[in-house]
Amino acid sequence: MRIKQLLIFTPLLLVGLLVQAYFWVPTYEDQTTGDARRLNKFVEASIGDAKLLNPALHADAASGKIVDKVFDTLLDLDENLQLRGRLAIHWQLTENAYLQVLPGAPLARGVVSDAPALLTTLRAAIGSGAIDLPPDLLSGMRILPARRLTLTVTAVADSEVQEQIVVEVPPRLQFTLRHVDQTFFARLRPVLGDDYAQQADFSTWHRPLGDAFMPSLQAQLPVFEHNPQIEFRLRRDVRFHDGHEFDAGDVKFTYDAIMNARNLSPRTSDFEPVKSIEVLGTHRLRVVYKRLFSPAVMAWAAMGILPEHLLNERKLADEMDERKLGEAARATFGMRESSFNRKPVGTGPFRFVSWQSDEVVHLQRNTDYWDGAPIYHDYFFRIIPDTLTREVEFRTGAADSYNPEPYQVARYRGDDRYRVYSSPSTGYTYIGYNNRHPLFSDSRVRRALGMALNVDEIIKYVLYGEGERTTGPYPQTTNFYPRHVAPLAYDPGGALRLLQDLGWQRNTEGWLEKDGKVFEFNLITNNGNQKRRNILSIAQDAWKRIGIKCNTQVFEWAVFLQDFVNPGEFDAVVLGWQLGIDADLFQLWHSSQSGANQLNFVGYMNPRADRLMEDIRREYDPERQTALAQELHELVAEDQPYTFLYAPRKNEVLDRKIVMAASDGRFEPVRADRRGELYFFFSRWRKLAHAPQF
Amino acid sequence: MGQYLLRNLLQRLVLLVIVSFLVHALVHLAPGEPAEVDPNNPRFKAEDVAKIRAAFHLDEPLHVQYALWIRDLFNGELKSFKDGQPVLPKIWERFLNSLPLFICATLIIWTLSFPTGIHAAVRRGSTYDRSTTFIAYALISVPGFFLSYLVILWVVNAFGVPVIGMHTFGSEHASVWFRSMDNLWHLVVPSLMLAVAGVAILSRYVRSQMLEVIGQDYVRTARAKGLDADSVIYSHALRNALLPFVTMFGLMLPELISGAVIIEQIFAWPGIGRLSFDAILARDYPVVLTVTLMAAVITLAGTFLSDILYAVVDPRIRLN
Repeated sequence: MRIKQLLIFTPLLLVGLLVQAYFWVPTYEDQTTGDARRLNKFVEASIGDAKLLNPALHADAASGKIVDKVFDTLLDLDENLQLRGRLAIHWQLTENAYLQVLPGAPLARGVVSDAPALLTTLRAAIGSGAIDLPPDLLSGMRILPARRLTLTVTAVADSEVQEQIVVEVPPRLQFTLRHVDQTFFARLRPVLGDDYAQQADFSTWHRPLGDAFMPSLQAQLPVFEHNPQIEFRLRRDVRFHDGHEFDAGDVKFTYDAIMNARNLSPRTSDFEPVKSIEVLGTHRLRVVYKRLFSPAVMAWAAMGILPEHLLNERKLADEMDERKLGEAARATFGMRESSFNRKPVGTGPFRFVSWQSDEVVHLQRNTDYWDGAPIYHDYFFRIIPDTLTREVEFRTGAADSYNPEPYQVARYRGDDRYRVYSSPSTGYTYIGYNNRHPLFSDSRVRRALGMALNVDEIIKYVLYGEGERTTGPYPQTTNFYPRHVAPLAYDPGGALRLLQDLGWQRNTEGWLEKDGKVFEFNLITNNGNQKRRNILSIAQDAWKRIGIKCNTQVFEWAVFLQDFVNPGEFDAVVLGWQLGIDADLFQLWHSSQSGANQLNFVGYMNPRADRLMEDIRREYDPERQTALAQELHELVAEDQPYTFLYAPRKNEVLDRKIVMAASDGRFEPVRADRRGELYFFFSRWRKLAHAPQF
Repeated sequence: MGQYLLRNLLQRLVLLVIVSFLVHALVHLAPGEPAEVDPNNPRFKAEDVAKIRAAFHLDEPLHVQYALWIRDLFNGELKSFKDGQPVLPKIWERFLNSLPLFICATLIIWTLSFPTGIHAAVRRGSTYDRSTTFIAYALISVPGFFLSYLVILWVVNAFGVPVIGMHTFGSEHASVWFRSMDNLWHLVVPSLMLAVAGVAILSRYVRSQMLEVIGQDYVRTARAKGLDADSVIYSHALRNALLPFVTMFGLMLPELISGAVIIEQIFAWPGIGRLSFDAILARDYPVVLTVTLMAAVITLAGTFLSDILYAVVDPRIRLN
């Protein structure tokens, strides 16, 4: 019967054809069979795909990994987290400080008559030592002539109400400082008196104006003004991957691209304090800032430089013509729409080759790289969303490295074919209490709640030991983290005593009660994070033991944010932050950032902490900034607005055959830099055919 | 006939428009925001988010957003929120990646189901019949993703070969023969996993269809006139049992696409299922909407096709 035979042999044939393919596929042990060049390739496995390969526009970690390899920054952090030059070979921070002369205003002794007189008085006071200045601070003083300005002022209540006004501004004094000093005007107090700025009376400088406009006017005419500036000398003979030479115009262009409202750059706030960028020569430029804002320096260490010649207006216009865009599309076309974001060109150690969405990004080494070409010829960034799949690919040799989950790490540690690298990450997980809630407004209550939790056990069982205790807002791998602050000790008895001192007593059912109300609240978190769910149950149980009734709930991420966190309508949450190496924590903790949709959603308010955060932003001296940051850390740790739980360890596994080439031609094991960044020495990595013995 | 087709087509068009309304409303009413305007990203400032929202027309009323979506879809200017790339070429590229998977899975389903199902029907009540019944129900009950994981682990532990993705990484410079065998190998496990539930269900259908037909008078007549068993089963019974499978074929196409969402996610297969899954997570509305609309089109086209095929295959049915 033909039909019967057909029905039986077709499936057999199909299965046979499919299964025989197995014999031609490389295995983990024999990665080079069929293709010996496998050793020159590095394959990294990632959870998610990149989105936009443009350093001015990307906002996700995956894009960041590629962008960091294709683009160079002016500065970056070296192995020990000190700034070092990349595309900039030299940079210098100085400051111009401006003092508005206020004729008629009282000084410590006498009144201001005019600018030359004030200058003479100040000069004399500095000469005599009445004004105490560090010897190398001041390099010059001069008078800037009076100005006539046309300003637009807005009303306090309604920014739509605007007026144009002509202001006759008297002369100003300019002080040129060799380094940035946020206390400079305070140092002039012996001459200016304590409330010089409060004497500012602008009424004679312009036509009469309603009181509603005065704050806006005063903000535009500061009495004391700091203008920090950085002068960069750039590296010569650096070429973009298409051969075009890099120069100061590219840096200026990158800044303009970020600030161009049409590009919707997520880095706008980093560069908003820039007042102007002046190109002083093909390889020199000066950046002047509107005000003291020290994170602005670090912004250059995170900002890859774009090629102007590929993205300027003319090029974008050409691209629109090429793609034959309609009128509506042309009107909104900008850098964000450009195909450059899918085939970037930079000056970095790797040049871009191709990108297949949700599959792989392929880079090739830049043999002309100014800092020496990487040893690997090819770099592949594979997108594998599933955790187990990443492990399977790694174990079969189809990936060289990935970030394993804590439970997988234990398996790798026992296997000598792999190497596990582990360091505390720059993020942490916490329980955040709504500080506005009457239950939690007292820091002693928050402390007691923290003391009732056995965090070491959480780390041991929830994280399989892959975590470190943390004590406050800064990551452990930075200098901002004070080593002497001890984490809250696990002491449920002490927690109970603390609460009893505050008037909470156990009722007949065993719950803590005060003024007839049981200590009861809701602890919530987002769905999809098993660790947070586990913490939810552990905390609930721990608090129950000391008589606190905690109800737990899990919400889908979007609902969790929209309905609870953003409007600040929650009691307590389990959440985590992922931070950079940045002393500036203003957005996370300053009391001005506690409104709806802002990041200080727990409503932490402490005037001393506010002042510290403001000072940290204005401080340019790394040592003083570190001291201020440590003080802030200690203060927040004291206040316990969160219960700081742990910093998860960041784990990475590598094939043991991958080593690092030393300068003497020998090999050493791969190692990370101080913050735990494994890829810091990536350009020196290579894969050997057999695992070496060290 | 022509009139019937035209009316049928019109009805489906109206249905499609209604589906597009529903899909659009559902996607927009679901909680959450596109990842690009995520208010919790500390890098975004409120005014930047407002600008992006305006650029994506997220502040317009729903019906205006619907109109903009349809307009952009038809003049080809619909762009993904995620990377600003046109949606249609993007979907087409992914569909081409999924196609070998669909074809291979379909081949496996339709070639494997018939012999197993027919054999079970002929040997009704035998150990073979009972064990295939058990296996089929087990395969239907075990979630596909779970089974996939078990199979992956088994293959990796037992053979140490890659099974994920469309080809083995790093073997790009191998010879053509090695590469094509490698591609074929990578197709094996995912298409098998995609086909498993289909095989289980379809072989059950084949079995019950055959059982029904075997009991008919004309089969007895065929036996009575002395035909051998194979002729009775394969010529007389099978032909009549085949009819309902015309409908099944049209209905199983969209099921493959929905199955692909999970299988492609597990096997890191850059196909259309994974595209839609990622788009849903990132609330990439243009992609989600367009893929869903296309799935609706394919479903309607599939049933339309089976309607016509039915008339062609079964002379008793006339469309009017």
